[in-house]
Amino acid sequence: MPDAELVSEPTELVPEDLRDHLIRVAQGELSVPSPAVRSWDVNVPVSIFATGWAALLNRSPKIQVKRVVTEQPKPGVASVRLRRQPVKIQSFTFPESPAWQASPPRQAQEDEKKEGREPATGKAHTRIAPPGDVIKLQDRLYYVLQPSLESLVASNSLHFPFDPFPYQLQGIAFLYPRFSAILADEMGLGKTMQAISTIRLLLCAGELQRVLLVCPKPLVSNWRREFALWAPEIPVAVIEGDQARRQWQWRDLQVAVRIANYELLIRDRDLVNDPQSHFDLMVLDEAQRIKNRSSTTSQVVRQVPRTRSWAMTGTPVENSPDDLVGIFDFLSRGYLSPGMKPRAMARATSDYILRRTKDMVLTDMPPKLFRDADLELTPEQAETYRAAEDQGVLQLEGMGTAITIQHVFELVLRLKQICNFDPVTGASSKLERMEADMEEVAASGQKAIVFSQWVQSLARLRERLGRFGTLEYHGQIPAREREQVIDRFKNDPSKHAILMSYGAGSVGLNLQFCRYVFLFDRWWNPAIEDQAINRAHRIGVAGSVTVTRMLTLGTIEERIHQILEEKRELFDTIFSENKLPSSVGLSQDEIFGLFQLRSPQGPIRKTA
Amino acid sequence: MSNNATPSRNNLGFLTVSDSPDQGLIGGYLVLNPAGRPLEFHCTAPVRPNRAQEILYGPTLRPYLYGEQIGRALLERSATPPLLVFTDVEPALAARDVVPIPVVFVVPEEEQQRESGNRFRLDAAHSGPPQACWPSLHRFTVGPRKLGVWPAHRQDEQEVIEHWQPHAESFDLTEPFGRIREAIEEARRTAR
Repeated sequence: MPDAELVSEPTELVPEDLRDHLIRVAQGELSVPSPAVRSWDVNVPVSIFATGWAALLNRSPKIQVKRVVTEQPKPGVASVRLRRQPVKIQSFTFPESPAWQASPPRQAQEDEKKEGREPATGKAHTRIAPPGDVIKLQDRLYYVLQPSLESLVASNSLHFPFDPFPYQLQGIAFLYPRFSAILADEMGLGKTMQAISTIRLLLCAGELQRVLLVCPKPLVSNWRREFALWAPEIPVAVIEGDQARRQWQWRDLQVAVRIANYELLIRDRDLVNDPQSHFDLMVLDEAQRIKNRSSTTSQVVRQVPRTRSWAMTGTPVENSPDDLVGIFDFLSRGYLSPGMKPRAMARATSDYILRRTKDMVLTDMPPKLFRDADLELTPEQAETYRAAEDQGVLQLEGMGTAITIQHVFELVLRLKQICNFDPVTGASSKLERMEADMEEVAASGQKAIVFSQWVQSLARLRERLGRFGTLEYHGQIPAREREQVIDRFKNDPSKHAILMSYGAGSVGLNLQFCRYVFLFDRWWNPAIEDQAINRAHRIGVAGSVTVTRMLTLGTIEERIHQILEEKRELFDTIFSENKLPSSVGLSQDEIFGLFQLRSPQGPIRKTA
Repeated sequence: MSNNATPSRNNLGFLTVSDSPDQGLIGGYLVLNPAGRPLEFHCTAPVRPNRAQEILYGPTLRPYLYGEQIGRALLERSATPPLLVFTDVEPALAARDVVPIPVVFVVPEEEQQRESGNRFRLDAAHSGPPQACWPSLHRFTVGPRKLGVWPAHRQDEQEVIEHWQPHAESFDLTEPFGRIREAIEEARRTAR
């Protein structure tokens, strides 16, 4: 036990002395004082209550063992299959025509360069669109998948002497797939070329073997020339000669294209209608010839056994919408019916007719300048005219109910002739104007076409215009000489005028080297006048064409002019659906109305 | 198209895929004779990738769909193997991996004009769409037209030049694709 004093007097240790102090304790120099100990009794009495817990306190605790699995679980796997999915495919195969052979490619390239044409890369493409009546998808795709026409032209697989205009390619694309079609382009847009090129393509594709082309007789040589130009490789035969020769020509299997005129077709109807001479295609040029459904021509052409039927005309409607019914009787008999409303007819025929005008497609074509020469009759003419009209109307009045349209018509013709020339003195205000104008035409080295309804008027003109190197082209010029006349007019610089009748010269001639057209008198139908004008104003024309329409004031000509303008409205309605026609042509009432006469039962009065 | 079939001496194949937002991908394949006349036409029903394909194929989805799925199916269906197959959609070049015929990309007219130096940039271009995730084309010129193959098939170039050079000037390679698209549209119209 340590000393109590040490406890009461604890040694004060300072840190710096701590080491010395410990050394001294260790060496026994200093003793460590013992701590004082005090004790307390903590035995506190505890009372235990009977709670029942005591037993619980004595019970051994129950130990539960929980097993914990330490092994990692297998992860779930979601598999996505990426197998190739089957692709559904529609397949179409097309026959390959042996006629379609590619030309030697190198040659094609050289030809392109020689003609200075660009390869057809990146150009517009005109494709053949299937018509609405082709239903089967395979057939529709056959047309859709044909090469663009620009490609054909550029590929040189077929040689074209000139690059066709885009609208001409559209015309070919229109005709190609159609079994019934009317190409109704305005005169001068190249219907002939479009038809020939389409025939050529169809022949090459093996879709045609026998073609019959029917046209007016004066146009036969023109068609032959155009075939030689646009499709020189196609064998063409003009049906002509005696019966034995024609019989052989109709049956010759070596010829792909036959050209016949309407009159000859009627004469050879039995040969043509032979079921063995079936034609794959029959083309009617100037198809307005069959507008009268009951005419022999119409009946004969309808009977020709054929697969495809195309009609070509610049004037599908001349007088009445029923003209179109006549043409459709050739294409698809019964498709149209007489008396249909123009709008309904336009809707029904829209997929079958293609009509373009120069204004629509040749925006950069030189203009057609109209110059209406409104002339006063010479005193001699005026006197004769008044006398003839007074006398004529008096006669008509005197006929009472016996008057017919023919009577009125005769008076109209007589008065129109007086408007051209005074029958007694030969005086003519129109001729005076003609001479003056022709001086100018000839002086400028140009050429003019002069149209008249009468050969007799043309003969009088020839007498007075002879010094301008005048030529004639009308019904009294033999057909075999007509081509020479055209050649002379075209190539002889001393020939400045050609006198033409509407009948012979209004269709099929290419006179685009002429810059002047004179309508010495007016035809009954504006479409015929347009055809006449378009002999000069057509593709290839070098400059503007000036059209002089001669009209004598205060005469029957002026009244007819008003009716012609109404006819133009009718035509526009069928092909543009703009407005209803105010008239359907030169009706009987209108002819009577020329003299302010009324129908046979009504009052008859002389014009004021 | 069987691998053993002998290619026709001069026939050409034209493969395209049109992407219709409402229907999906429709492939068209046209076989032409040397004069450009159609011999065969095949078109697919609309193909749509499923969601899994979109996620898992990622940027390689188009080559897969255009080339391996649609292109391959169309070329295998053809009865007359062509000498060359041209396409105007670049991802369809993937078909070359699975068919034994050279598949050639026809560089579009506009791109060709851009490359020919008709257009110049004076400033930085707008940021365009993400770059395609397929190999850069191996390009070459035949006649007036720029063509391309995938680099993995660069050996096709000689074969293409050999076969195509004689026709290059006279045949417009872009024109048949217009026909295919119109035919696909016609088939769709008829199906409605």
